[in-house]
Amino acid sequence: MQCSKCGNPKVIYKREESGQILCKECFIESVEKKVIQTIKREKLLDKGDKVLVALSGGKDSVTTLQILDSFRQRNIIDICAVTVDEGIANYRQEGVDIAIRHAERLGIEHKVVSLKENYGISLDEIMQRENHKGSCTYCGVFRRTIINKAAREMGATKIATGHNLDDEVQGIMMNYLEGNTDNLTKLGAKTVSEAEEFTVKIKPLREIPEREIGLYVVAKELEVHFDSCPYAMQSFRGEVSEVINQLAEKHPTIKYSTLRGYDKIKNVLKKEMQKDYAHGRCKRCGEPSSNDLCKACSFLEELGV
Amino acid sequence: MSFLLKYKNLCEEREIPNDDYTIKDLLNEMELSPQTIVSKQNGELVIEDTVIEEDDEIQLVQIIYGG
Repeated sequence: MQCSKCGNPKVIYKREESGQILCKECFIESVEKKVIQTIKREKLLDKGDKVLVALSGGKDSVTTLQILDSFRQRNIIDICAVTVDEGIANYRQEGVDIAIRHAERLGIEHKVVSLKENYGISLDEIMQRENHKGSCTYCGVFRRTIINKAAREMGATKIATGHNLDDEVQGIMMNYLEGNTDNLTKLGAKTVSEAEEFTVKIKPLREIPEREIGLYVVAKELEVHFDSCPYAMQSFRGEVSEVINQLAEKHPTIKYSTLRGYDKIKNVLKKEMQKDYAHGRCKRCGEPSSNDLCKACSFLEELGV
Repeated sequence: MSFLLKYKNLCEEREIPNDDYTIKDLLNEMELSPQTIVSKQNGELVIEDTVIEEDDEIQLVQIIYGG
């Protein structure tokens, strides 16, 4: 067995969807090339952008930072990063420490924002409350709000997240199966909001399968936090992911075809299904909101914080 | 004929049960999905079709976790 590209007999990866067999060097190069292709095709970066990387210290965000840094090295963009500390004992600190070390290694502006300092309550404390709505509900909303605020404070023109092919395909299928056409219009490589307070979001890893990102960080010997969130539970996303992965065993191109199919209908979906933007502001924090209170503040009110 | 298996906190000698015993066979035995694991043979990344040889050190790294 030898590398399909260079003939090296030391192969590390068999790409099921194409039949390609790759050595370490060609595998790393192929991942980086594909991300750069996505960035160029989807016009994710403009010269002079300051990109805020949402850096958890996990494999996806570290890979995003690593590949975007090649654009910074060529003085095309500037990079900064934010790490959200949700306050999860025996879990989050390792990721935060790893994120700090990556930011120091690359010499980029970085800040860690904790839920406790920002809102006066940690995720662990929320989960001790009776009648909580589930950890992911709070975590997703608070994290999104913190990242948006950090982007404004740090003068970022784009926010880059580590969403990979599996995340994106799960999102497409989940929203379709739930009939959530509004959320379905919000997926894609680049999300531009009508509210000027919301920075443009980009997903450079959108076409890279999760497994390839895991292999990429191991092959590049990048320090990442490989662990499971203690609040991770059997979610609908998990069920959908299981079905897609089962299908992918017999149909290895199915994740790419789902993504491509979505991309073909996305513009029509947006035109027909996207809700009108609400020009209101949250009474409590001033963030854009269609209701009196934004999602984050309505949770805080419920929690009595 | 044996090899050394390293996986998370586990570090143990295991017998090679038959000729042409691959990492994929080992993953099946351990009920681990090849989709969530990358494998190293004597410190170098390898594919799951790799045959485990006597005195090999096989390290399994879990790269995908739920949640």
